[in-house]
Amino acid sequence: MTKIQPPLGGSHRRPDAMAKATGQTRYVGDLALPGMLHAAIAVSDRASARVLNFDVASARRMPGVEAVVTADEIPGDNQVGVIFPDQPLLVTDRVRMVGDRLALVAARTPEEAWDAARAISPAYEDQPGVFDPEKALDETSPTLHGTDNLLHTFQVLRGQTDPDHLDADVIVEAHYEIGGQDHAYLEPQACLAVPEGDRITISASCQCPFYIQQAVARVLAIPLASVRVEQAPTGGAFGGKEDYPSEPAACAAMLAWRTRRPVRLLYSREFDLQVTTKRHAMVVQHRWGADKNGRLVFAEVEAVLDCGAYAGLSTVVAERANVSAIGPYAVPNIMVRTRIAYTNNLFGGAYRGFGAPQVSFAAEATMDTLAHRLGMDPLEFRRINLVTPSDPLTCTDQPLAAPQMAQACLDRAVKDSEEHQIAPRAPDSWRRGRGISLALYGINLHRGGQFLDRSSAVVILQPDASVIVRVGLTEMGQGNLAAVQTVTAAALGIQPDKVQVWQPDTTTVADSGPTVASRGSHSSGRAVLDAIERLRRRLDPIAAELLGCRPEDVELADSCARVSGGGPSVPLIDVTREMAARRIETISTGWYRSKPRVFDEATGMGEPYASYAMACHVVDVAVDPDLGLVRVEHVAAAHDVGRVLHRTAAEGQVEGGVVQAMGWALTEELKLDQGRLLNPSFTDYLIPTSDDAPPVTVALLEDAPGRGPFGSKGLGEPAFIPTAAAIRNAVCAALDVEINRLPLTPPVIVRALAGNHRFKHLME
Amino acid sequence: MPETIIIHLTINGTGRSFRTPPGRRLLDLIRDDAGQTGTKEGCGAGECGACTVLLDGLPIPSCLVLAASCEGHEITTVEGLVHDGSPHAVQEAMVETGGVQCGFCTPGVIMTSVALLENSIDDREEQGRRLAGNLCRCTGYEKIFHALEVAGTTDD
Ligand code: FES
Ligand code: FES
Repeated sequence: MTKIQPPLGGSHRRPDAMAKATGQTRYVGDLALPGMLHAAIAVSDRASARVLNFDVASARRMPGVEAVVTADEIPGDNQVGVIFPDQPLLVTDRVRMVGDRLALVAARTPEEAWDAARAISPAYEDQPGVFDPEKALDETSPTLHGTDNLLHTFQVLRGQTDPDHLDADVIVEAHYEIGGQDHAYLEPQACLAVPEGDRITISASCQCPFYIQQAVARVLAIPLASVRVEQAPTGGAFGGKEDYPSEPAACAAMLAWRTRRPVRLLYSREFDLQVTTKRHAMVVQHRWGADKNGRLVFAEVEAVLDCGAYAGLSTVVAERANVSAIGPYAVPNIMVRTRIAYTNNLFGGAYRGFGAPQVSFAAEATMDTLAHRLGMDPLEFRRINLVTPSDPLTCTDQPLAAPQMAQACLDRAVKDSEEHQIAPRAPDSWRRGRGISLALYGINLHRGGQFLDRSSAVVILQPDASVIVRVGLTEMGQGNLAAVQTVTAAALGIQPDKVQVWQPDTTTVADSGPTVASRGSHSSGRAVLDAIERLRRRLDPIAAELLGCRPEDVELADSCARVSGGGPSVPLIDVTREMAARRIETISTGWYRSKPRVFDEATGMGEPYASYAMACHVVDVAVDPDLGLVRVEHVAAAHDVGRVLHRTAAEGQVEGGVVQAMGWALTEELKLDQGRLLNPSFTDYLIPTSDDAPPVTVALLEDAPGRGPFGSKGLGEPAFIPTAAAIRNAVCAALDVEINRLPLTPPVIVRALAGNHRFKHLME
Repeated sequence: MPETIIIHLTINGTGRSFRTPPGRRLLDLIRDDAGQTGTKEGCGAGECGACTVLLDGLPIPSCLVLAASCEGHEITTVEGLVHDGSPHAVQEAMVETGGVQCGFCTPGVIMTSVALLENSIDDREEQGRRLAGNLCRCTGYEKIFHALEVAGTTDD
């Protein structure tokens, strides 16, 4: 079982897997320190109210309670907004959403802490709230911050954009209502804060230790250098541990600072579901036109994101949604407007796909509807309109390096779908349908977030030719440790088990931004390659001496240094021992930053992303026409990945992304009432189980190299984006209906069947 | 009700006794009192399966079981599957096939899988139904099924 394969593109064991499979990995909940206290948070249970007064004195007297902290005790800024300073750590006079924090408690046991937190209940005066993002933009709606609820508007304007002049043979108008989603990572939010004199260490389940470092320094009014954040093993994230963990970390840090004791904060599932960020719900209005030959003539898109009560990352999410609204299609005339509306709902944050899944859903649904109106096969209609080498421009006028990959992904997914023998799991009486959907994914951060797009690495070559690597990007299950290990091993010509990649820590690497936007292996891999290049300026001369050649002729392969072109070789360990004996520096840093790009925010024209990846999913479903139940029978997923770094990790990203998107498409409904989540449990908020999961045929196409290490491209998000629309298109094909909302729960499907439903007489 | 009671049970092959409040959950006894933190808590409500352990060989959600009700019984956790430093065939298979991503569901998934194989349940459909109490948000389950297949063949 311990077979060793060549690392690049192989399936060697992931370095973190065995410790996880034997229960040795220590997540935050598994860490305890002597004298450690447990934190809890008192939160608002209403969405819009004035806080008249609240009393924490009785909570302070409750059993086990060591400290209760309110806003006036915060030494620094009472502010945790990641981009805009609109969100206090602790509210004082006004709550804008359910879950707004009122006070923090530290107690000897978690039960005592939460009991005390629940006992804090202020006197409120309810204020009118606004819960519909479109209504929130009306002038008459109550406002959350400032004079109106419009946070920002983005646009794409290309060709003819005057709606009065946009005409075509066939025009489809559609209104899409797209629900949000909870990340439902299996490990709820968790962090541990340990004070030490004038500094503090935070261990957190997170995607960005640097955001936490900044938030804690700001709240405690201490220098960044006094805050050490180490990323703990992280039990899933999917965007939900990008921006959000700064908030619990700031809470734990405040309590630790105040009590001078270690403080751990663990969310319960219910609390986590109730208060953390969600995928943005969106309303998308379409007016798309095509000529009678099936060529798209224009596309008009009006999208509104439900931001919730605080800006969080909504502007950057909307920025990606805005330029993703058209998909991989060549359309001469485009008018996209994307607006963000504050509401009193739970606030939106980062979630796998970052706004692109919602607008892609709408685009791919409209493509099917247009095809039907034209009397064309949806597949054929897509082929006619895909970007091609002769028409390679995205909707922002950016030429694609490999537009042919759209067609290649489509062909491959269709072929895999047709060749797959479905073992039907649903009864024969259910109706069958097939749906298709594509995605054009901009890899890495949008031009607007480019200031974050840099990454740091440290490589330490050991005397025994093993290697320690530190990077600033995190492992949260997606396989970044395996990817970085693979890149290092491939670059040094050694076996992966000689490379140890350690979790990020703000005291060992420089700020590398968040692990998001499918940038992990790209950004950390490129930084590692840079570090290795610098290391070799010291290694190669020693190897050259041992080999009797020129330093520029040294190459590393098969755990040896050798003269390139097949000359003599020496084991790498001889070189590293020699370096140690001569006291040559064997530590090296590396850096990566993306190149500046041009983008005009007013027109949306330019280069929002450095490069792109394509994907196509083809889905087979069976639908129960009586009860509206859907079973996904098979998914064929073809992805333009550039180069596979680690095969099972890459496949796992696609399989996991598909099933997570299936949940969003079918069952994961956030039931909000006046801003409060009515279903904060896995009994009522249904994520897919092993019984629901379809077989997924994954094709990883390596024909068009990307800009990542060894030609790889990002994969985590494109894995998610196309699935929901393909499911919707399959369900609609099966039932011959048009459904323009998500999720497609049984009541939604039954309602859509209306006159065709077997029990229609009962529904009138 | 008494303040504390004494519970005797066998954890991973070792007989032990614990003085504990009568209402203590088996999960807390395993994690906090016995120090076996491999077993995870994902929901505390019997919904996610992260806390699955074997009670006399049967997979159960330890967050829903009172420790006191296990008096005299045998508990196996993910740590207890390793014998003389050798991981169980299911642990090997999960690692080999890529069935482990974030790892938070993994201990529970492995415990249920061990019980499935011990009962010779090798039909994928049936496995899917019986694993449905172990939620995994990362893998899409495909590689977990693959691991079951691999472990099923290495086992006999
Ligand atoms: S923690 Fe026991 S089932 Fe989720
Ligand atoms: S591996 Fe992350 S939840 Fe299963």
